[in-house]
Amino acid sequence: MFKAQLPATRVIARRLYSSRATQSLYSCARGSVRSPAPAASSLCRPVGRSLVFARGYAEPASSKFSRAKPHLNIGTIGHVDHGKTTLTAAITKVLSEKGAASFTDYSQIDKAPEEKARGITINSAHVEYESDTRHYGHIDCPGHADYIKNMITGAAQMDGAIIVVSATDGQMPQTREHLLLARQVGIKKLVVFINKVDMIADKEMLELVDMEMRDLLSTYNFDGENTPIILGSALAALEGRDPAIGADKINELIKACDEWLEIPPRDLEKPFLLPVEDVFSISGRGTVATGRVERGVINKGDEVEILGFGTKIKSVLTGIEAFHKELDRGEAGDNMGALLRGIKREQIKRGHVIVAPGSIKAVKKFQAQIYVLTKDEGGRYTPFMANYTPQLFIRTADISTRLSWPEDTADAEEKMVMPGDNVEMVCTLHHDVAGEVGSRFTLREGGKTIGTGIITKILEYA
Amino acid sequence: MYALRRSTASFPRLYSTAPPKPPVKLIAELRKLAEGVSLTKAREALAASNNDLPAALAWLDADRAASGAAKAAKLAGRVAGQGLVGVQVLSPGARPGASGSAVRAAMVELNCETDFVARGALFNKLLADVAHTAAFLAEPAASRGEGFVREVRLDALGDAPLLDHADPVGASPAGRLSAHANTVGGAVRDLVAKVGEKITLRRAVAVARDPLPYAQRHLGLRAFPYVHGAVTVPTNGTKGALALLAFRSARLPELVASEAFQRELAALERSLGRTIVGFPVTRVGESDGRDAEALYGQPPDMFVNKTGSTVLEELRNWADRNKLGGEGSGEDAALAVLEFKKWSVGEPLESTESS
Repeated sequence: MFKAQLPATRVIARRLYSSRATQSLYSCARGSVRSPAPAASSLCRPVGRSLVFARGYAEPASSKFSRAKPHLNIGTIGHVDHGKTTLTAAITKVLSEKGAASFTDYSQIDKAPEEKARGITINSAHVEYESDTRHYGHIDCPGHADYIKNMITGAAQMDGAIIVVSATDGQMPQTREHLLLARQVGIKKLVVFINKVDMIADKEMLELVDMEMRDLLSTYNFDGENTPIILGSALAALEGRDPAIGADKINELIKACDEWLEIPPRDLEKPFLLPVEDVFSISGRGTVATGRVERGVINKGDEVEILGFGTKIKSVLTGIEAFHKELDRGEAGDNMGALLRGIKREQIKRGHVIVAPGSIKAVKKFQAQIYVLTKDEGGRYTPFMANYTPQLFIRTADISTRLSWPEDTADAEEKMVMPGDNVEMVCTLHHDVAGEVGSRFTLREGGKTIGTGIITKILEYA
Repeated sequence: MYALRRSTASFPRLYSTAPPKPPVKLIAELRKLAEGVSLTKAREALAASNNDLPAALAWLDADRAASGAAKAAKLAGRVAGQGLVGVQVLSPGARPGASGSAVRAAMVELNCETDFVARGALFNKLLADVAHTAAFLAEPAASRGEGFVREVRLDALGDAPLLDHADPVGASPAGRLSAHANTVGGAVRDLVAKVGEKITLRRAVAVARDPLPYAQRHLGLRAFPYVHGAVTVPTNGTKGALALLAFRSARLPELVASEAFQRELAALERSLGRTIVGFPVTRVGESDGRDAEALYGQPPDMFVNKTGSTVLEELRNWADRNKLGGEGSGEDAALAVLEFKKWSVGEPLESTESS
């Protein structure tokens, strides 16, 4: 898919140098790492499309478009009339003047019918842009349920958010729902943009909006004191007037995002984890486990731990092989074989993980946020109740799990889950498996995927 | 920034001199007192009422009637595809007492533009109130042919006085609505002004049945709700159903008085409710038919302790277990689902005609 896209974009934007094409490939590749296949296709599409409208910057490959720039997904949340779309368009406009984005106007943001990829439907608009230090993927979903679904499926995970509030209205009754959502999808830091300041002449009024927002942020356990609040007018920036409240404020907003929002650790920086796909016994050498490194870096001779299915064995990685070559080092993304000292063929199998010792634990029972696929998405036709027992697939492991309601649920025996629901449920696994908060899994039954989930709380370790 | 904020927070000036503009502190206070007042409106209200808080609140109430209508007109072209279905049962029927057999319940769908608003307390309260009002005002069906669960005319409902579902008689003055928001339509416009989204009352059905005469004491009717996807208020969800059960049993007066029977009945209702909402059923169905969309033909997966292979069998087993037949009346269908309506938020209206 990626290969097919690359030449196409080259044809369309012939004047763009490879650096830009690499950039788009990069963002696609990231998407595919974090999300299931259907999601990746929709992540890619707008990137490719936006290139069509890109201005041809004939500058040679510079460090600006280096794929080394850290990536962050950022979402806009706010009331329908407070100017989320205008702000998004304004950001791309202001940054496009620096060559750091392609201008995406209203109609492109608002109307994205082809965004509804087959499979897991993603109801959101994707726009991308760059600041001096970062690359941003910009997400805008219409509703609470869409954001939750995207969080669970990993289709458009938000690492940070811009809350948009109009200066004329101030915070509204639903602003608390917006903040609750941000909390629920795991966002710890926000940036606030107070829009339409040109419609309020009174400076004190603007200060009041600022103050009220800080109070509200603190109420919902955000850092109200230090959260950057930028007052500006997205429309002014979009129309290219009043730079003092327009373009300058957009730049300030991006700067605030750069400085305040934190980048999630990248796969390479995380502790080593290799899900075992296959195990071989090579005579004269020993047992080799193969798989694709999910995260981290490993060196030959490092101590590792084998986890899952009731095992917890320490071993040493005595050899790494990838691309039919002996290597000294393996890293995230590599398909590698790991030669393990003192491990017998029977001691390790598909579903185990080989990890940096102590970096992750095997879990037996956890709470998870689960999205149950609708029948149009290939899921179940009928509802289910507690004690339903599907197969849980996490990395390469396949374990049956019992689903039940969290302890404090009222009428837990009586609650029903329907296809299309987002639910918080407890998974009790038949065997333990390596897992931590944020690990994603899918639920399958009779050969079809019926749901997808993300671990939110560990209840019992193995 | 922080220093600036401090200075605004403690702003004692502008009181003694004739106020050219309302002090910010007062605006903040007013916004705390009345949820969903925009900054500009709060300032306008204070300016119009000489910085007097109670007067400003009254001004806001009066203004919302006009501004809500204006806002509603402005938003008319937008799509309100989100929202909730609310079901309220005032009197379920089949309960002990002289008027225990009276039935009164309603189901209402209220729409808004985003589910953020639909999760809010204001929206949920309005929906519960409207459903309560619809149930309260429902007229008993004149003839049997019309069915029990009947559509409520929305224009009539819009003009009806709104009742507070938590406090229908208006016992506490705090819960009383302002003069401009005391009809269903007025309250909807009031909410439009508060949340700034298009809000529409999409559809409403109600069932009402006067108590049965003593001669028919062997007959019973019971209305029950089922709500799925409730977040804020348990009676409001993304999917809802209102259904009717009918009993015929010589032992009925004695049964309904028993606590065990009421408990069993509630469990049966929940199981039936889950099947109605969870499965693609559109009608009750004939007892013998092999109809894929008939409730009676569905597997009893949603029953907690399964005893049969279809919903119909479950119903019969339930009737046997609870000795509905008693001695001497070996007739079938001593217990039946009469009809049901089920709605899901935002679905196209044509496909909803059921029962």
